[in-house]
Amino acid sequence: MSQNNSNSDGIATANDTAAGSQSGRRDRPLVGDDLVLSYSSADEPVVDGESISAEPGAVTALVGPNGSGKSTLLKGLANQLEPDAGSVLLDGQDIQTLETKAVARKLGLLSQESTSPNSISVEDLVYHGRYPHRGFFDNVTDEDEAAVERAIDLAGCGHIREREVGSLSGGQKQLAWIAMVLAQDTDVLLLDEPTTFLDLHHQLEVMEIIETLRDESDITIVVVLHDIEQAARLADRMVALKDGEIQARGRPDDVVTEQLLADVFEIEAEVSATPHGPRVNPIRARHDGDEHTVGEDSADSDRAEEVVAE
Amino acid sequence: MASETRGATDAWSRARSWLDTPDGSLLGLCVASVAVAFGAGLLQVSFGAYSMTIVQAWQAVFDPKVWFSVQAWQSFFFGAELPELPKRTLIVWNIRMPRVIVAVLAGMCLAVSGAIFQAVTRNELASPFVLGVSSGAGLTVLLTLVLFSSLAPFLPLFAAIGGSIAFLLVYMIAWKGGTSPVRLVLAGVIVNMVFTSLQRGLFFFADDLGVVQSALAWITGSLTGVGWEEFRIAVIPTAAATVLALVGARQLNLLLLGEETASSLGMSVERVRFMLSAVAILAASTAISVAGIIGFFGLVVPHIVRLIVGSDYRRLIIGCVFVGPALMVVADVGARLALNPAQVPVGVVTGVVGGPYFLYLMRRQDQMGEI
Repeated sequence: MSQNNSNSDGIATANDTAAGSQSGRRDRPLVGDDLVLSYSSADEPVVDGESISAEPGAVTALVGPNGSGKSTLLKGLANQLEPDAGSVLLDGQDIQTLETKAVARKLGLLSQESTSPNSISVEDLVYHGRYPHRGFFDNVTDEDEAAVERAIDLAGCGHIREREVGSLSGGQKQLAWIAMVLAQDTDVLLLDEPTTFLDLHHQLEVMEIIETLRDESDITIVVVLHDIEQAARLADRMVALKDGEIQARGRPDDVVTEQLLADVFEIEAEVSATPHGPRVNPIRARHDGDEHTVGEDSADSDRAEEVVAE
Repeated sequence: MASETRGATDAWSRARSWLDTPDGSLLGLCVASVAVAFGAGLLQVSFGAYSMTIVQAWQAVFDPKVWFSVQAWQSFFFGAELPELPKRTLIVWNIRMPRVIVAVLAGMCLAVSGAIFQAVTRNELASPFVLGVSSGAGLTVLLTLVLFSSLAPFLPLFAAIGGSIAFLLVYMIAWKGGTSPVRLVLAGVIVNMVFTSLQRGLFFFADDLGVVQSALAWITGSLTGVGWEEFRIAVIPTAAATVLALVGARQLNLLLLGEETASSLGMSVERVRFMLSAVAILAASTAISVAGIIGFFGLVVPHIVRLIVGSDYRRLIIGCVFVGPALMVVADVGARLALNPAQVPVGVVTGVVGGPYFLYLMRRQDQMGEI
């Protein structure tokens, strides 16, 4: 175990990236640098000065409780939310200076809730993923067709390609949308809670797609996941957020600890190591005045209470 | 023999099933629309105060004296002097025909405009009328007619300006970090109310009853008395708006996936939405400047087309380009001939027929609002 190592080999800090922005094009596909993100409806920023770097060619999972800012951070990285301060670097270039279509050719985003007209067919939906690759008057090219076929194949929705999206189940819909972002054919893929609201079968199906992508291509994936166990199983790197602050980052084994679950998720849980990664057995929710029961090291648990009290 | 009939049935069922595909239904819809428009147009040119038989009307329509006369076409398109023509031909070509053709243009404009607005706002209830464009354009049209009658040749321009101002107002009122279908409709109601009051107020500044009457015709939407001059006003903006709408169909499709998806796919959503709105305003203003405010049309026609060909805008816009004119010509036949010899404004017909039809649509669908 290389505990000291986990921070530096996991997620690079902003300082690393600023220095090597040119040489590091390939190994720093997506970097968020001191990001301050807020919504116009609220005064306080949701994310206040955090830096994050996606592990190239691997899966980085953002986890955290509801309202921890993980989706906001993802939106910031996807250039859907203009940062109040800081910057997002895509292949070493400031994403704000790039043309929107150029960004969309390199970075795909699947939002949490996607709407579409009911009568559109799955295939037509997937073809929308080719939008950034097509000019205003361009017709469908062989390359578009190949990318769409690949995406439909990879997302396993060949059997529903003629169906109307409105007639699909939630899980099938999600597969169709995943096929659409895959058709975008980007180096970086951001997924916002792709498994939430799906039945187990489709959750596993989505996870398998992500695993296939990681194993068979060098695509860089950042995924927000609700389920920490799922995240631990899927991700190469994990980033845990609470109240808009990054609390921990590193390999799943190092991040998913009883201590972190108490600090970040405010639950009491047992964590056991399995071949599929750490297994979380939740016991009960922690409340503000709770006696701490996690860990025997008193210094450690004092800290936990401090975090909870905040 | 038996196999032959089976082959025929096969072919027939193949044709039937093809008609059920989106492209088949679109083609069927277009063919039917053209047929309906021709039929209604023929009725329109055949009947009226000066009566002639259908055969005589056909003869007048296909009168070679018109078709092969450069001077006649020059007079239609550029307003030159009409050549000498037989009386029937003159009545058909100079009085009844332009009305049909202007109805075609106005129907096309309103249908396309409604379709665009519905995609841009992702709102099934959107139409030039609901979004205030009609009342804004109507107000400037009235202003021009009542107070600045010398500027009448620039009517489409003024109508477009008035429509744009009203639309921007509605959007600004509805905007709160984004808009929602309901907020847009409510904002539209408010702006419509204010602009309609202003229109009514203008009546009191009219000098004589004639102006009031023509102003009233504008507000209800009427094709009475339109001629080749209105055709000349409307033809270029209609063509431009229709072509732009067809070209923009793919952008409209992407807008239907929602702002977030569209922008993550690399669309500059605000810019595209603005430009497409401009096209829709141009189309609506064109129709309003030649035919006044014809209610319900821009709302209902895209709905009808959507029910038949689906929500893909590449097909929907084409469908609107055909169905809009057909229904407008039919509505105008009703307006002109139903209560013969009295004529009612076509806007009355579209309101009376379109309102209940829309009600029926609303009752049939569980949900109405977002596309």
